[in-house]
Amino acid sequence: MAMAVFRREGRRLLPSIAARPIAAIRSPLSSDQEEGLLGVRSISTQVVRNRMKSVKNIQKITKAMKMVAASKLRAVQGRAENSRGLWQPFTALLGDNPSIDVKKSVVVTLSSDKGLCGGINSTVVKVSRALYKLNSGPEKEVQFVIVGEKAKAIMFRDSKNDIVLSVTELNKNPLNYAQVSVLADDILKNVEFDALRIVYNKFHSVVAFLPTVSTVLSPEIIEKESEVGGKLGELDSYEIEGGETKGEILQNLAEFQFSCVMFNAVLENACSEMGARMSAMDSSSRNAGEMLDRLTLTYNRTRQASITTELIEIISGASALEAAK
Amino acid sequence: MTLNLCVLTQNRIVWDSEVKEIILSTNSGQIGVLPNHAPIATAVDIDILKIRLNNQWLTMALMGGFARIGNNEITILVNDAEKNSDIDPQEAEQTLEIAEANLRKAEGKRQTIEANLALRRARTRVEALNTI
Repeated sequence: MAMAVFRREGRRLLPSIAARPIAAIRSPLSSDQEEGLLGVRSISTQVVRNRMKSVKNIQKITKAMKMVAASKLRAVQGRAENSRGLWQPFTALLGDNPSIDVKKSVVVTLSSDKGLCGGINSTVVKVSRALYKLNSGPEKEVQFVIVGEKAKAIMFRDSKNDIVLSVTELNKNPLNYAQVSVLADDILKNVEFDALRIVYNKFHSVVAFLPTVSTVLSPEIIEKESEVGGKLGELDSYEIEGGETKGEILQNLAEFQFSCVMFNAVLENACSEMGARMSAMDSSSRNAGEMLDRLTLTYNRTRQASITTELIEIISGASALEAAK
Repeated sequence: MTLNLCVLTQNRIVWDSEVKEIILSTNSGQIGVLPNHAPIATAVDIDILKIRLNNQWLTMALMGGFARIGNNEITILVNDAEKNSDIDPQEAEQTLEIAEANLRKAEGKRQTIEANLALRRARTRVEALNTI
């Protein structure tokens, strides 16, 4: 009967030896010492148990991060939707002209400060670089304003000369309009521009975030374009009141538009960051669960293999004694 | 014919429905808007907005912004807006006193300007309570 057990275990022993090469790459040097002690070609149960413990911890952490991101998302989502109503009248009045040809454009890149949020930051940086290429040429120049640690880290490497201003830790305090208007004020004071292009991730749904570009024009360009005609030409049909000159009102209007669009962009980007982090952490915990399943199987096989080797030793020892008698 | 009025701030929609007439304060004085008004884009002062619905007037305190009037649609974008029913009289009076005290204490051009703005805001809120 013992031989029958041995034969059955033998078949299971083979897969455990096959599993060893993969495990060998992962396990540290301590496994070699364990092999010497056991005297068999297999990883010890202790090593597998340690791996299982660490994977389980990782799974717990990623699950917690997902729930935190979900609750933060709920909080910001309402505000982002409320702020959408703010810039729509501007677009209705002035139009959004991404294809306008200007001499000086400034690209404002919005990104997150923390990582582990999927690919949203790299898409934003890709779009910013594409805009840079599109708008560079003779007599045209592009400058960057970077908001957020992640984009700063990526863009500092190659476009260092073109970065005018960089802001980090925007999300430390709960976002409010006053903070964003101060930031907008900073940008307006320090940077000369004909057109501002804000690049951010627009929040369509919990799983869909699309990189979007919002264009805000400076007042001089608006005046020029409104004389030419087209969408901005409708601006002329409005009588501008309340101020000394039309130019002054347009200036105030453009600044107000910029800060409203920035506010909306920052909120939407925050929502997208939370959503991306939720899905990234979700797939992380699922992967950790699968890894845990595989490790459990390996653990059981290792355990059974060690039991089998013990049995073999005992039985062969016993039969040797009998033969000697 | 009725006007469609939308009052928006950064955080919420304050008003979004039909009205009969509004009286708006701009930098160059108060303007009354009736249906079929000519298209206008104007800056809005820190002052009160009066809304008429069926012979009943409602007052709102606005904290500066822009307004666009066209095609019987009025869109007002402001930094903040409060209906007079939402303002607490005691608190508004107190804010006014604090603002006045700050203005007297203010030193330097920048502080004076800021104190002035705060005073105007507080005064607007108190006025909104007193009108009707």
